[in-house]
Amino acid sequence: MVPDLRPKLAFVLFLSVCAFAFDWQILLPLIALVLLFPLALPSYHPASDRARHLFFRFILFSIAISGAIIVLNGWILQTGERVEILPGIPLFSDGLLFGVRTAARLLLLSFSVLLFFSSTPIPTCINALQQSGLPRTVVLMLLLTLHFLDSLPERINRIFMAQEARGAPVRAGFISRTKAFFSILSPLLLSSIAESVDRGVALELRGFLLEMAPSAKPALPAQPLSPLTILLLAASFFILVISIARWLLP
Amino acid sequence: MKLSEQFTKETSGAAIPFIAFCIALNLTVGQVTSALKIPIYLDSIGTVLTAVLVGPLAAATAGALSNLLASAMGSPTMAFFVPVSLVIGLFSGILARRGWFKQWYLVVLGGALQGVLAAVCSAPISAYLFSGVMMAGTDFLVLYFRSVGNTIMESVFYQGLASDPVDKIITYLIVFLLMRNLPRRLTGRFAGAANIPSRSA
Amino acid sequence: MAPSITLERVTYRYAPGTAPALSDLTISLPGGTCCAILGPTGSGKSTLVQLLAGILAKHHPESVGEGSLTIGDHRYTPLPNDILFPDVGLALQDPYVQISGIRETTRKEIELTLETLGRDLVNEGGNIERLMHQLGITHLAARKPTTLSGGETQRVALATILIANPDVLLLDEPATALDYGAQANLKLILQSLRGAATVLFTDTHIDLPLEVADYFVVLKAGRVQFEGNRKQFLEHLPDFADLLPVEAWGKVLSALKGDPQSPFVRRIVQAVGLL
Repeated sequence: MVPDLRPKLAFVLFLSVCAFAFDWQILLPLIALVLLFPLALPSYHPASDRARHLFFRFILFSIAISGAIIVLNGWILQTGERVEILPGIPLFSDGLLFGVRTAARLLLLSFSVLLFFSSTPIPTCINALQQSGLPRTVVLMLLLTLHFLDSLPERINRIFMAQEARGAPVRAGFISRTKAFFSILSPLLLSSIAESVDRGVALELRGFLLEMAPSAKPALPAQPLSPLTILLLAASFFILVISIARWLLP
Repeated sequence: MKLSEQFTKETSGAAIPFIAFCIALNLTVGQVTSALKIPIYLDSIGTVLTAVLVGPLAAATAGALSNLLASAMGSPTMAFFVPVSLVIGLFSGILARRGWFKQWYLVVLGGALQGVLAAVCSAPISAYLFSGVMMAGTDFLVLYFRSVGNTIMESVFYQGLASDPVDKIITYLIVFLLMRNLPRRLTGRFAGAANIPSRSA
Repeated sequence: MAPSITLERVTYRYAPGTAPALSDLTISLPGGTCCAILGPTGSGKSTLVQLLAGILAKHHPESVGEGSLTIGDHRYTPLPNDILFPDVGLALQDPYVQISGIRETTRKEIELTLETLGRDLVNEGGNIERLMHQLGITHLAARKPTTLSGGETQRVALATILIANPDVLLLDEPATALDYGAQANLKLILQSLRGAATVLFTDTHIDLPLEVADYFVVLKAGRVQFEGNRKQFLEHLPDFADLLPVEAWGKVLSALKGDPQSPFVRRIVQAVGLL
C-alpha cells in the first residue's frame, strides 16, 4: 500500500554525491534537470497545492540569493583577476568562481531534498518509516507532532489575543515585549503539559503502550530493490569511490 | 541494551505527546518571536525543554526529528545538521540530570558551554558541506571573517562562536524561568521531574 | 459475560502518609448493570474509576493501595498495576483529548484501536458499522475527528473504546461537558449498552443516574455512604441528598414518575431543600 520510496531516496543520495564530486559545470545542468522533474515525472509532482507553492517560492528565493552570494563573494574575496560585470563595483574572479561553485553545490543539495519532500506527503514518509521498522513510540511522536503543528498556531494566536486584551505590552518597547513573550509562552507551556498528561493517559487507555501479541505483529516482507534503485546506488557508490581516490591520490 | 531501556523509560505515557509538542514548538516559536518582533532564533527551545523534563535521549530524538521535519517543510538544509541537534539534546539532558538547571548561574554557564559545543559541531558541517554558504544572514559574518584572511573552517567557527552561545544562553534562561513556575502535580510524572528548579531558585 | 465487580476493603493513598483517597471501600456491583458512582468533587469517584481501569499505578509511582479487586473471575491482590484494556475500557471526562489526532477520518480513528490491538480489520468491518450505527455516528464516518462538536466527539471516543469489546465500560463524568441534547443521546447509549457489558459512570449530579442507572454507590471523602439498587437509593435519598445537587428538576421528577407516589417525592424535594 505504501509506495516504495527507495528509488526516490536513492536518487537524492545520487544527487548529493554528485554535488560533492563534480564541479559547477556539471552541477548546473543537473540542477536544471532536477527542476524539470516535477513537470515531467508523475511521481515527482508536488503532493499538494501548498507543496507546489513552497517548491517554487523556495527555488526563486534560492536563485535570487545565490546571485547575491556569488556577487558578494566576488566583491569581498579580493584575489584573482578583476572582472567588470557590474559597473563601478570591482569583482574578482576567484571569489566569483568560489561563489558559483558553492552556490551550485548548495542549490543541488537543497533542491534534491526539496524535491523529495514536496512530492512525498509527510504522512507517507512516516508510514514508510514505520514499515521499515521505526519504533512505534517514535512514529507516534511524529504523527502527534503533525497534529500539534496544525493546532499550535491557533492556540498561540488565542493566547496572544487574550494577553493583549488584558494589557500585556505586546506592542510596546523591547523590554516590555520580552515580558510579553513570557506571558505567552508560560500559559502555552502549562496548558500543553496538562494536555500532554491527559493525552498520554488517553493513549494508554486505548492500548498504545501494550505489547502486541507476536502473532499480531504485521509480517514485514523484505521487498527486493527495484532495478532503478540498484542502478542509482551503484552509480553513487562508483562516483564516491572515484572522488575519494582522486582526493587521496594527488 | 542499556540505551533502548533508557529510551523506553524516558518516553512513557505523558512524555510522548509532550515531546511531540516540543518538536512542534521548535518549529513554531518563530511565529511568536516575529509577532513580537524579537530578533532571536530559539529554534532549540523545545529540545531543551525535553532535556530538562524528560531526559537526554528523548531530547536528542526531539532535536533530530525537529531538523528532519523542518527539512520536509521548507528548509532543506536543516537535515544536514541533525548531528548538531543530537549533541544539543544529549548535552542539555546530561546537564539537566546533574542539576545544572536549578541555579541561574549554572544555567548561564551551561548555556555558554552549550553554545560553544554547538558551534564546534556545526562548523565542520557548514564548512565541508556548504563551504560556509548557507543562504542565511550569518553568511555575511562568515564572509567578513574570510575577507580578513581566515580559512573557511575558521570563519565558520568564529561566526558560530559569535552567535551560538548568546542564543543558547537565552534559550537556557527562558527554559529555566518557564520551568520554575510549573506546578508539581503536573510535572511529577515526567522522568526528569527531579531536574526542575524550585520556585525559590 | 458481563462480569460483576467487587472491591474488598480497598484503601488507596496517592503518597504514603497522606490522607487516603479511598478508605476501606467494600462494594459489590452486579454484572450487566448500569451503575452510577455519585458524590461531590474529591469524594474519590475518579480515583475509583481509574483504579478499576488499572491506570493509577504507573502514573503515581509513590501510591499505596490495599485490599483486593475482583472483576468477574479475576481477583487482583495486590491491586492491578497495569491497564486492564481491552477487558476494561475507560472513557475520560474530556472527550477531545481521547481523539488521537493521527488519523484523518472518524472511521480510521475507530480502526486505530483495532490496529493497536493487532486485530484483523477485515473481520471487524461489520462490527465497526454496527457500533457507529448504535452510537449514531454513521454520518460522521468520513469527517475529520478533530472538527466535531463535544457530543459527537464523546460518541466517537466511546466508539474507539467499545470497538475493543470490553466487558467493563467505565465513564468518568460523561455528562459534565455536554449540553442537554447530547446528554439525552448519552442516556440512550448507556441504556443500549446494558447487559452486554457492566457499565459504570461517575457523576456529581443525580439527573442522569436517576434516568439510567440500576445500581447506585454514593461516596463522600473516599468512604461509601450508600450502596444499593434503584428502589433502595430512592428510599435513602433524603439521607445524603445534601451531597447530590440536581441540575434539572424537571428531568428528575419525570424520572421519578411512575415510581413511588407523591408523598415520597415530596419527602425528597423537602430533603434537598426545595420546600
